Amino acid sequence: MSADPAAVTSSLPPLAFLLPLAAGAVVLLGRRFGRALAQAVTLVTAVAVLGIGVAMVVRVVAGQVLVAWGNELRVDGLSALLVVVIGGIGVLASLYSVRYVARPTAPERAGEAVAPTRLPVFYGLLLWFLATMLWGCVTNNVVMLYVAVEATTLTSGLLVAFYWDRRALEAGYKYLMLLTIGITFALFGCVLVYAAGAATGKLDGGQALLLSELRGVAGLIPSGTALIAVAFLIVGFGTKAGIAPFHPWLPDAHAEAPTPISVLLSGVMIKMAVYALARTVSIFYPTWPGLAVFAVGLGVFTMVLGIVLALAQDDLKRLLAYSSVSQMGYVLAGVGLGTYLGCYGGLFHLLNHAVFKSLLFMAVGALIYSTGARRISELGGLARKMPITSACFIIGAVAISGLPPLSGFMSKLTVFLALAQSGMWWAAAVAVLVGLLTTVVLMRAASAVFWAGPSRQAAAQNPVREVPPSMWVPMVILAAACVLLGVLPQVAYPLLDRAAVALATLGR
Amino acid sequence: MSVELLPMDLIRTLSMLLVITSVAAVEIRRLRMAAVAYSIQALLIVALLASFASGNPALYLWAGTALITKAILTPYFLFRAIGSGDDRELKPLIGFGPSVLVAVLLMLGFYHLTHTHILLLAPSELAQQELFRTNLAVASTVFALGLYAVLTRRDAVKTVIGLCLLENGVHLSLVSLAPGLPETALFGVASEVVVTVYLLLYVIGGVRRQFGTTDTFALRELHW
Repeated sequence: MSADPAAVTSSLPPLAFLLPLAAGAVVLLGRRFGRALAQAVTLVTAVAVLGIGVAMVVRVVAGQVLVAWGNELRVDGLSALLVVVIGGIGVLASLYSVRYVARPTAPERAGEAVAPTRLPVFYGLLLWFLATMLWGCVTNNVVMLYVAVEATTLTSGLLVAFYWDRRALEAGYKYLMLLTIGITFALFGCVLVYAAGAATGKLDGGQALLLSELRGVAGLIPSGTALIAVAFLIVGFGTKAGIAPFHPWLPDAHAEAPTPISVLLSGVMIKMAVYALARTVSIFYPTWPGLAVFAVGLGVFTMVLGIVLALAQDDLKRLLAYSSVSQMGYVLAGVGLGTYLGCYGGLFHLLNHAVFKSLLFMAVGALIYSTGARRISELGGLARKMPITSACFIIGAVAISGLPPLSGFMSKLTVFLALAQSGMWWAAAVAVLVGLLTTVVLMRAASAVFWAGPSRQAAAQNPVREVPPSMWVPMVILAAACVLLGVLPQVAYPLLDRAAVALATLGR
Repeated sequence: MSVELLPMDLIRTLSMLLVITSVAAVEIRRLRMAAVAYSIQALLIVALLASFASGNPALYLWAGTALITKAILTPYFLFRAIGSGDDRELKPLIGFGPSVLVAVLLMLGFYHLTHTHILLLAPSELAQQELFRTNLAVASTVFALGLYAVLTRRDAVKTVIGLCLLENGVHLSLVSLAPGLPETALFGVASEVVVTVYLLLYVIGGVRRQFGTTDTFALRELHW
C-alpha cells in the first residue's frame, strides 16, 4: 500500500470501468432484444459512470486519493478529471446517438442503412470503449496503462469502420494498423520504465509497476535509459493522442466514424492518450527539466500543422478532426511545461476542448442528419432552417477560437500566460497566431454553411428541418457549458487545481 | 533467473532459426506459405520461451500463452482470411534481393548495438549477460523486419503478417527486459495482439468485398 496519508481505499475506481464492461457484455449477449434495450442500458450505464465520476470528484476535492486492489488502481485529481469528462461526454454522446444511428442514411452514405441487428453491437462496443478508457484513467500500473490504451483501439476499431463502406473500411484499416504499431512503442517505453525502476533496487518487482511509486525513483534511472523510454512513450502515446507528426490516422478515423463515435474519439479518447503521456513522462520532469522545451516545441508544431491542414478542408468532419490535432497542441504545450500554471492551463483546455469539440461534431452531425451533406461547398443558408444547430455551432466555434467570453478564451489565455511565465515567448506568440487562424477556419465554415446562399444541390433536396430534441438537447447542454466555463471559470477550479497539483512537477 | 541452467546452444540455434523464418514470412510470395513460415516462427518462439524457462519457471506460463495466442489462434485467423483461392501476394514495393540485404544489415546493426550500448536499452544486470544481449538483438531484428514488411508490402494480409512479426519481436524482448513481469500484464499484452489480428483481418475481409482486392494502394479515398 502507498504510504500516502491521503490514500483511502474505495470501491469507486474498479466500479468505474467494471460497470460499463459488464453492461457492454449484457448488451452484446442480449443482441436479440434489439435496439431499445441496448440504448436504454447504454444511457443508464453512462449516467451511472458520470455519477461515479462526480462522486470521485467530490472526494478528491476534499483531499482524498482513492485507491483499490492494493494500489493497483488509484484516482487522484487528474484521474477524477478524466473520469468525469469521459462520463459526461459519454452520457451526451449516447443520448445524441439514439436518433442519429437510427437514421444515418444520408444520401452521401447511400446503401449503408444500418441493419437493426447491428445496432446492439454498436452500443456494446461503445460501452466497452468507455470501459477501456476509464480503466486507463484509474489504473496505477504502468504496463496495464499500455494495455488499456491499446484496448481502446481494439474496442473502437470496429466502431470507426461501422458503416462498412469503402471510406469507413479504409479508415478502420488505417486506424487499427497505425495505432497498434504506434502504441507498441509505448509498450517498449512502459517496460523500460518498469525495468529501470526495478533495477534501481529501491522498489521490489510489484512496486516497480506502480506509477505512484516509480515517481519517487525516476531520478535514479540512468539518463540514457530515461531518454530512450521518454522517446518511446512520446511516439507511442503521442500517436494515440494525435500529436503531429504521428497524426495521419486521426482525420480519417474521426471523420469516417459515425458522429457519436467521432464525438468520443475527438472529445475524449485523444485526451485519455495525453493523460497516459503526461502520467508517464512527467515522472522524469524533475530530473530532466529540459524535456519541457521539447514538449512545448512538439505542441507548437502540432498546433500549427493541424490548423494549416484544417484550412484546406471542405469536408466539415475532416476540418474538425484537423482542428482537434491543432488543439491537442495547446494541451501538450500547457501540460508539457510541467509548471503548475502550464498544467492548469493545459488541463483546463483539455476539459474545454472535450466540451466544444463534442459540441461542434454534434452540430455537424445534425447537419448531416438533416441535409445528408457534410461538405462546406454543398451546404448553405441553414441559419433559418436549423436555428438551434447553427447557434450551437457558432458558440462552439467562438469557444474553440479562443474569443472572449467563452471557455476557450480562458484556457488558452492560461496557456499563453504559462508559456510567457516560463520565458517561452516564441511559443506564446505562435499559439496566439494559431488562435487567429482557428477563428478564420471556423468562422469561414460557419458563414458558408449558415449564411451564404444555399447551393443548387442543397436547394434541390427535401425541406430541411431542425433535428429532434434528443439530438439538440445534448448540444444545448454543451453550449451552456462553453458559456459557463468562460464566464465563471472558477467553477472548475477546485478539480483542476487538484489535477494540476498531481501533474505539476516543476513547482507552482 | 539462474543463467547457468540455460541450454545455451539450443537457445542460440532457435534464435538463428527465428530470424530465418521471419525473413521467410516476409519474403515468400504465396500467402499460405508465408503464413506457414509465420506459424513455424511462432512455434520457435514458444520453444525459445520454454528453453529460457529452465532458468526461470515463470516463463513456462509465457510459453503457454504464446502457444495459444501466437502459434494456434493467429495462424488459424490467417489461414481463414487467406482462404482457399488464389493466394499470390501483390507485388511488393521492394523486391527479394534488397529485402534480404535489409534483413542482414538489421541483424548486424542490432547485434552491434546490443553489444556496445546495452546499458541504454536494458537497465538490469541480467540483460547485460551475453545470452540476453543476443536475445535482444534477435528480438529487435524480428521487430524491425515486421515493421519493414508493414511499410513495404502492398498486400493487406501481408501487412498483418508483418504486424505479427513486429509483436513477436516485442514479446521476445520482454524475456530480457522484464522477466519479472506479472502474468496478468503479460496475458493482457499477448491477448491484445490476437484480438488486433482478428479485427484487422475482419476489416480486410470487408475491404476485399468492397474493393475487390486487398491491395493497400487501392485504399486511396481519404487523403489530406
